[in-house]
Amino acid sequence: MNTKSNFRKTTADLLMLRQGAYRDAIVLPIIAIATALLIGALIMTATGVDIYTIGRSFAALGHGAFGSINAISETFTAAIPLILAGLGIGLGFRAGLFNIGAEGQIIIGGLLAVIFSFTFSDLPTIVLVTFTLIVGSLAGAAYAGIAGVLRAVTGAHEVILTIMLNLISYRILDYALRQPFIQKDGRSDPISKSVPGNGQLPKLLDWIDPNLRLHVGIFIMVGAVILLWWLIKKSKMGFAIRTNGENSHAALYAGMNPKMVIIGSMALAGGLAGLAGAVQISGVLERASPGFSAGIGFDAIAVALLGRSHPIGILFAGILFGGLEAGGRQMQIDAGVSIDLISIIQALVVVFIAAPLIIRTITPWAFSKNKRTS
Amino acid sequence: MEIVKQTSLAIGFTLLCTASANAFTACQVTDVGGIDDASFNQTAWHGVENAIANRGIDGRFLESQSETDYAANLNALMDGSCDIIVTVGFLMGEATANAATANPNQKFSIVDFAYDPTIPNVLGQIFATDEAAFLAGYLAAGMTETGTIGTFGGLNIPPVTAFMNGLVYGVDYYNEQHGTSVSVLGWNTSSQEGLFTNNFDSLDDGRAFAQNLYDEGADIVMPVAGPVGLGSAALAAELGSDSLKIIGVDADLVATDPERADVYLTSVLKRMDSTVEAVINAAMDGSFEGGLTVGTLANNGVGIAPYHNFESAVPPELKAEIDAVRAGIIDGSISVGP
Amino acid sequence: MDIELKGITKRFGSVIANDQINLQIKAGEVLGLLGENGAGKSTLMNILSGLYAPDEGKLLIDGIEVNFRGPGDSISAGIGMVHQHFMLVPIFSVAENVILGVEPVKTADYLDLSKARTLVNKISSEYGLSVPPDAIIEDLPVGIQQKVEIIKVLFREANVIIFDEPTAVLTPSEVEDFFSIVRALKASGKAIVFITHKLHEIKEIADRVTVLRHGRITGEGNPKRLTKEKLAEMMVGRQVAFTVNKIKSKIGQPVLKLKNIELHTKDNERVLKNINFSIKAGEIVGIAGIQGNGQTELIEVITGLRKNYTGEMFLGELDITRANARQRHVAGMAHIPEDRHKFGMVENFSITENIIINNYYEKRLSDFITINWIKARSAAALLCEEFDVRTPSVDLNGKSLSGGNQQKMVVARELGRKPKIVIAAQPTRGVDVGSIEYIHSRLVQSRDDGNGVLLISSELDEIISLSDRILVMYDGSIVAEFDNTDAKPKRNQIGLAMAGSTEEIYNEH
Repeated sequence: MNTKSNFRKTTADLLMLRQGAYRDAIVLPIIAIATALLIGALIMTATGVDIYTIGRSFAALGHGAFGSINAISETFTAAIPLILAGLGIGLGFRAGLFNIGAEGQIIIGGLLAVIFSFTFSDLPTIVLVTFTLIVGSLAGAAYAGIAGVLRAVTGAHEVILTIMLNLISYRILDYALRQPFIQKDGRSDPISKSVPGNGQLPKLLDWIDPNLRLHVGIFIMVGAVILLWWLIKKSKMGFAIRTNGENSHAALYAGMNPKMVIIGSMALAGGLAGLAGAVQISGVLERASPGFSAGIGFDAIAVALLGRSHPIGILFAGILFGGLEAGGRQMQIDAGVSIDLISIIQALVVVFIAAPLIIRTITPWAFSKNKRTS
Repeated sequence: MEIVKQTSLAIGFTLLCTASANAFTACQVTDVGGIDDASFNQTAWHGVENAIANRGIDGRFLESQSETDYAANLNALMDGSCDIIVTVGFLMGEATANAATANPNQKFSIVDFAYDPTIPNVLGQIFATDEAAFLAGYLAAGMTETGTIGTFGGLNIPPVTAFMNGLVYGVDYYNEQHGTSVSVLGWNTSSQEGLFTNNFDSLDDGRAFAQNLYDEGADIVMPVAGPVGLGSAALAAELGSDSLKIIGVDADLVATDPERADVYLTSVLKRMDSTVEAVINAAMDGSFEGGLTVGTLANNGVGIAPYHNFESAVPPELKAEIDAVRAGIIDGSISVGP
Repeated sequence: MDIELKGITKRFGSVIANDQINLQIKAGEVLGLLGENGAGKSTLMNILSGLYAPDEGKLLIDGIEVNFRGPGDSISAGIGMVHQHFMLVPIFSVAENVILGVEPVKTADYLDLSKARTLVNKISSEYGLSVPPDAIIEDLPVGIQQKVEIIKVLFREANVIIFDEPTAVLTPSEVEDFFSIVRALKASGKAIVFITHKLHEIKEIADRVTVLRHGRITGEGNPKRLTKEKLAEMMVGRQVAFTVNKIKSKIGQPVLKLKNIELHTKDNERVLKNINFSIKAGEIVGIAGIQGNGQTELIEVITGLRKNYTGEMFLGELDITRANARQRHVAGMAHIPEDRHKFGMVENFSITENIIINNYYEKRLSDFITINWIKARSAAALLCEEFDVRTPSVDLNGKSLSGGNQQKMVVARELGRKPKIVIAAQPTRGVDVGSIEYIHSRLVQSRDDGNGVLLISSELDEIISLSDRILVMYDGSIVAEFDNTDAKPKRNQIGLAMAGSTEEIYNEH
């Protein structure tokens, strides 16, 4: 009992959780995931999949996500952009902003990154890669900043603004990919020139097996997690952001400038999403094409929700989602189960996280103690 | 609770017997349209299915949900369990080339892509669909009442525009022969520009593009965008086939989309099923070689589908002319081009 | 109808909210239920209204034991409750709100509003409530809304009516009005339960009083015979000082000066009209007035939360007319906001975070771009100690504190910085007697230390007992000024000024 509560306390301290938050941050997501898998199994049963195949597919899910070095490499490769963009969205949540625009910010960030990369392909690797990532972040920050400024100045709602900016970004991408100085030579379909070899993020594990795609973006991602943790927990700016998110009236009364907080946190969120786009371009895709963002910006919303807007939480949520993606592939291969099922499980996890009451109702025993009085 | 028990039992059972029989395994990675796109992914998979039925092999597929999945999906198949990997679609060209270069012992075949220079462990499959589309264009020109035919594509890439080129040349040839002035909306052969949805999955786009072409006077439309065309067919079904007819592409859509069988005038067939099955057979028999295979009218790699419901509506003279044109293309007396 | 509670006990986990409570509620009588926040009054009344089932004890109606399975049982037994926060649909009319849940229908589902209107009128005239049945709730003043709640209860034929802190939201004249309604209800034979923590109200209206503390009954009797001091002692558990001990202070130079302040809303409504006054070092200036006469706007203008005013403002010699909230704060202005939950604190923040919320950027609490949490925590702990904020740890959420401790936390933050001028808006609203006493003494101490204090309160008693000077606000203007040091002004003169009658008053001055 004592060790258990000590463990909880240490874990809670590590994750800078307040009292009672342990259950919300750790128990709740675990039960949500288990429940989602269970319901996924029920759905498979309902669609006529036999119990053997269901077992086989879950085994494949686990194996494909974490069962081999290739699986782990794929899981993290998928997790990197999700976590980067998720950190930005989580920061927005902390500031009280619901930023739906990560997808558009990824597109703009990735697009500008690829343009920069092939334009300045003569630069040495380290300079080119660094500046490519910086350009991508700045582009994402500027694009999100549009929503931030409009929100702060006119009071227009950021959900509407960012959704509209997403739609605009798709068209910007379509248009840009047809411009002669961007479009790949000899192609008539919208596709950009490729990132030059010295502009690519170095692969980490290709000395083991050339198929291992994990790249140095993982260090950038870990750095971003630490930076965000520091920003939220330690910095003055983070304190202003959190205050604004928890109680914007109190922030105003405390002499903070809510407009600057809104613009700043939107730009920061966009910078992270833009960085995700740039990392994806220079680490994985090597070029921009229509739909290269692949819904990462939307999945990142789920990641931020699942991680409860906490940098460490987002790290684990992103790894989980990356694992579901890599494992989902294995599910298709081994058991022939549709990739759509993985989407359903992901959605169920989010539903259960976003609506903790459901989990509390179906598993009351996990939350029965320390009931609040009055 | 019962389900939990059963599931865990099943998992345990699975772990005991993961290693299934070491049969020859063919794997397919689809493009974003999905395995059931009633079009090129499905047709190619049909080839695998035929091989399963005829040679008793194992078949697996992986669906790509976005372009970013190509490399990841290929990667997931690199554990050596696939004897041949079939990738479907021009857009997978780069990803396939990268995977093939990195894994020289793995056999690949890609539909709709020709490498120059060729890669030793990849067999490219391309199709002279312009030849077959030429026939469809000739047929359409003979059948139109408004004198206008429409077409649109998914992306401006060679495997798509080949259909559109063929259609226009076929119509032009008909005009030449009959002194008519049937026109084609949606594709300009000299500028190589035209109407594109820029995706291969939006049925809404298929409907909207067909509506636009219909509004501009077209009574026959050929969508070249995989499942997008199903949206166009839905519109035609509502308007009635007297007002709007659809020319299918890739597969015989009367067979893959039987509910709307009466709107398809014909389909331009791209016999990926037969080429994919042939590649699998070659790999099994040890005669697999990298390089290029081209499907033509002559080797039955491309063609047009039977008229089905329009069998009686197409005048016998027109049928005869089309047969003659086919023979002309095969013997080289008619050239598919401007 | 009589109700008797016998040995009622209700536990929440390890906390005992009600411990062996015996209570009698009699027809034609007003029972006062006195207790501080958290004494168990609300739990007891929730048991009566069927929301909670007691763990032990019996509930007897006219001598027969009953078991409520839910609020419906309680309502049909004839018990009605008027909550502190009204349960009205703002965009519905009075009649619609009254019939909500018990709609009279003619045939099928046709809503019979005319019948509802007739009934509302009938009940109104019976008890002298005068409520227009077709008025929309959100257009009505709070006092009238409360009458709608009363009609709602009567419409459901309640014989026992429970009022939970009914005067908290009312102006002094509305309180008088409310008491006459209670008397009319009593005369018609209804049993009334009146929950409050205000002693003078108990003495004025209650026939019997029961005092609760920590879930137990600590006193009972006839309020007319009990002194205020005795009642307060039963409630708080110790002796309470009612008069604020104030020595005459040394008045110094003006610390805050307002010149010709004018404010217009976006709709071009003039909400502050030519406000001129100054507060000198060593004095407490109270602003009396019925809520909604410009006090909130005045506070926002003074503290820099509103920018679009005209006129001039000086903090000492410093022109702060164009300064923003933080600049004024740095210049020495402290602000205890009128609603701590909304403006004064962040419930989900720790006490430390709440205490540094408006000074975290100061060098003593931060390094270059980071907050020094070690220093912040010790500063917070020091202030909690100094200002009697009772908490086991400064890492607990602000939410976990009682109302009084939350307010003391806000006061600690604002006064802990030794400001030159303190803007205290409703500084003791919703706070227990002990904390009121403490906060008052800190405000007086701040004045004695030679600072200026501006006190804005809707509690006239508070204004009179603390202020050296009293300004009365009405309709956006300062309409009267009273010296409150030697010649105590009469309550009714201030009351008249609050109601807008300005004559006579200046004669007095």
